[in-house]
Amino acid sequence: MGGSALTFLDWAIVVLRVALPVLVLPLFVVPLTWLERRGAAFIQDRPGPNRVGPLGLVQPIADMIKMFFKEAITPTSADRFLYLLAPAIAVFAALSTFAVVPYGATIHVDGREIPMLGADLSIGVLYIFAITSLSVYAIVLAGWASNSKFSLMGGIRSGAQIISYELAMTTAAAGVILASSSFRLSDVIAMQQGTWLGVIPRWNVIPQFFGFVVFFISAFAETNRLPFDLPEAEAELVAGYHTEYSAMRFGAFQMAEYVNVMVVSAITTTLYFGGWSLPGFHPQGALGALASLLVFMAKSFFFVCVFIWVRWTLPRFRYDQLMKIGWKALLPLALANLLWIGALEMWRMRA
Amino acid sequence: MTAGRAIFDLAAAVAIVFSGLMVVGRNPVRSVLSLVVAFFGLATCFVLLLAPFIAALQVIVYAGAILVLFLFVLMLLNVGQEQPDRTGRPIQTVLGSAAVLVFAGLLLGMFRGSGAHVPTPADPISPSALGDPAALARLLYSDYLLHFEAVSVLLLAALVGAFVLARPEKVS
Repeated sequence: MGGSALTFLDWAIVVLRVALPVLVLPLFVVPLTWLERRGAAFIQDRPGPNRVGPLGLVQPIADMIKMFFKEAITPTSADRFLYLLAPAIAVFAALSTFAVVPYGATIHVDGREIPMLGADLSIGVLYIFAITSLSVYAIVLAGWASNSKFSLMGGIRSGAQIISYELAMTTAAAGVILASSSFRLSDVIAMQQGTWLGVIPRWNVIPQFFGFVVFFISAFAETNRLPFDLPEAEAELVAGYHTEYSAMRFGAFQMAEYVNVMVVSAITTTLYFGGWSLPGFHPQGALGALASLLVFMAKSFFFVCVFIWVRWTLPRFRYDQLMKIGWKALLPLALANLLWIGALEMWRMRA
Repeated sequence: MTAGRAIFDLAAAVAIVFSGLMVVGRNPVRSVLSLVVAFFGLATCFVLLLAPFIAALQVIVYAGAILVLFLFVLMLLNVGQEQPDRTGRPIQTVLGSAAVLVFAGLLLGMFRGSGAHVPTPADPISPSALGDPAALARLLYSDYLLHFEAVSVLLLAALVGAFVLARPEKVS
């Protein structure tokens, strides 16, 4: 970089680094919908989709074809421009969040250093919060532009919910920033290398367990997953903010939700569980990089499974309960965690 | 003209045009959205002025939180198309225009005074103190502590004021 001119290969690597996750994440949505439906069936003690292909594995493809070929209906009284913009914002916000998450160790090939992430921004953590705070516009606009009362109520609920939980989420993440004294995600991972007493990995989740709990609960609210799916609330609001959406426009919202689940799991892994690293694991060469990628995916997959597990075992909160948990439980807990980490860092600096 | 300068000019133009649209627009929800786009233009300018931290705060705090609250209130009250107000007195137009002129004059004088010191992306000098969160925090909590606290008290006063104004009057 810097003064030297970039060759074609350099450009190709940069494009690949950025494009790969954006192309691969939507592909993962396909098996994830299968996993969600089979997981739901398993928890509810029923077979689930099992007709299309072995174990129903081809079911998501059939669903996709259906979504693409259904008629897309726009309500006559809708604000057409914003109505079409909303699903686009949803998908854009979901995919671009991943740009700063490191998904593997740095590869050294031919004297080239190729970090496995889109862009190692100096404000990585803040970038994530900036983009996720925009995803609320997708839901609020969908609710407003549809010109239907169910959609509008879903949009209003979403606005209140995301503002309340974003606060707790950012405060919890501030603990991680404080501990690694950097907003850069590669620094956050570098800080979590090694072990305490030879056996306990130096992951942030250990000193900041309550921060992790607050972050992960808020993540459910940010992705509108049960028990925080009030904007959707099919029992009260038909389908909430996407009541008036059909065909692939509805599919876009669904896709954004699953991409969000994966991205939030990846961020949780990075902030609290050491990202692609493992204690005693020093990736070397291309094979090592691949192994680190697999470690990262395995850790993230675990949290994706927790998302599915929680969705089908917990009932939805009431609106007042939602506000009470956000402001009276999560936010004070996140603040206490921040104080504790501050004290810990002070003590460490003195020592 | 470098690519950075071209992007800066474009972002600044977007910020100005959409701020204008925000004022002129008749539909409150669309006005809020214009403001969101304007803030994005502004954030882009901050990035190019080597202050990515400020840019991130701009998007998180303004676009991501405050304007969502605006939108929330607009939707809660279900505000429709805004009707042009025809009850205004002529004196309002006169005073309004005078205020705009005075403000434009002040702005122009300020730019004249400090135009030479405005950092540009092409500047080879050190990244501005605003780009580094640690330096910014040190300034805010030492040299500018009083100003910082004064602004927060001002915000609190505005909050209390809004509450007092909006409170339903007690029936005696």
